[in-house]
Amino acid sequence: MKIFTILLVLSGMLAGCNAFEYSPNQTFDRNSPTNLNKTAIDRLMSVHPTNDTLKFILSGDTQRSYKEIPGFIEKVNSLDNVDFILVAGDITEFGSFKEMEGYAVRIKKMNVPVITIIGNHDLTGRGRESYQRMFGDLNFSFVYKGTKFICHDTNSREYKYNGGVPNLDWLSQELRPSASVQSYIAVGHVPPLSDDFDQQLVPNYKAQFEQTPGFLAALYGHTHTYLASAPEDLFRYVVTGSIENQEFIVVTVINDKLTYERVFY
Amino acid sequence: MSAYFIRLPSLIVILLLAGLRSNAQQFLIPDELILQHAGSIGYFSAGAGYKLFKNERGNLDLLYGYVPASKGGELHIMTAKFAYKPFVIKVNKLGTIYPFNPGVFLTYTLHKDLQFKFSKDNWPKGYYFWSEALRPHLSFSNEIEFSEPKFIKAAGLKSVSLYSEFNSNEWYLVNYFQNVPEVSIKDVFKLGIGVRLRF
Repeated sequence: MKIFTILLVLSGMLAGCNAFEYSPNQTFDRNSPTNLNKTAIDRLMSVHPTNDTLKFILSGDTQRSYKEIPGFIEKVNSLDNVDFILVAGDITEFGSFKEMEGYAVRIKKMNVPVITIIGNHDLTGRGRESYQRMFGDLNFSFVYKGTKFICHDTNSREYKYNGGVPNLDWLSQELRPSASVQSYIAVGHVPPLSDDFDQQLVPNYKAQFEQTPGFLAALYGHTHTYLASAPEDLFRYVVTGSIENQEFIVVTVINDKLTYERVFY
Repeated sequence: MSAYFIRLPSLIVILLLAGLRSNAQQFLIPDELILQHAGSIGYFSAGAGYKLFKNERGNLDLLYGYVPASKGGELHIMTAKFAYKPFVIKVNKLGTIYPFNPGVFLTYTLHKDLQFKFSKDNWPKGYYFWSEALRPHLSFSNEIEFSEPKFIKAAGLKSVSLYSEFNSNEWYLVNYFQNVPEVSIKDVFKLGIGVRLRF
């Protein structure tokens, strides 16, 4: 009977540490966090800025790279005056809630708020539902230090190029002039230069930004390697290298002028 | 889901049962009724168990599982498990303990967002290498079979077993092997508990 007791105790311990799983395709469990993007934005807004300089990090494609996250966090936490971090999609490989939780648990160690945008891998399986519950809306925006950040779903292939992604109507609403906004930054996962972005929408998509006074740049991930627009391009964009390549971008906005640098660690 | 996908596993199941069952005349009649909680095959699942081989150390279990919306569903899951019991410990007046039983199982999950294959019309070949609906799992379980106590015979049963089963799948194992030691083995093995009624 000793073995029976041991097994009972063991089962109890395992139940306590949440080892019970109903399916890899369930969209949450009782420990899953919710509304992480809203929490991060609220936290960002609650701190009164001490200066006008906007400084943030662009990273992306953490996917299967859990091992690389602690080094990334350590590097970011060592930088001064970072306002927040944007992760431009693909926080999972298989779109499972367990992977999203693995990511969410680790980024808690970041000193500043982390805002997460949806990537194509995150939309596989039941990832859309899991993301919506854990992080929030797929298209959302916020204004910080006079700059509006327009975070949006650009993963057209996952919608079989239905013409609705990216959502150009929503974007045009978000780009309307407003007294509290001097400049605009767009953030998505798939950049327009990729075939995974609906190529039929590219001309209108770019034109919307180009025609907006105060449009600074569009920021993306997905390619895993750094890319950027040429100086003569009207549509200015930056694509960050992925976390597995141990690279991220530091973006600074001073007096409505955007500069950035690549950081390797 | 292609017809091929239904026919092939069905054929394997029938061949396994016909070839490996000790009672060849009644090879389709199950030996056990199984009820399980969690273990990645449903919030609750129920099914039939078949003893395999002359020594009855093998098990083939066919189960249907359900995950309600309130637990992260709604999902309907079909499962086929194969496991073997290499170690047997007889306990007087109680029955038998099977301390470590390795196995494999397949789950097929029915949900509108889960496809058997990513369509070639939309995604280039190899864009995503996995199936959303079909999932292979590795498992190991331990089981206590009560066959001696009088109340079991009185209930018209040969034995009642309690088991716990850990499993992982190819998604979790890929993430584990790429990230040792950042991701630990207990992050990727998931638990279920169940009961087997042998009649």
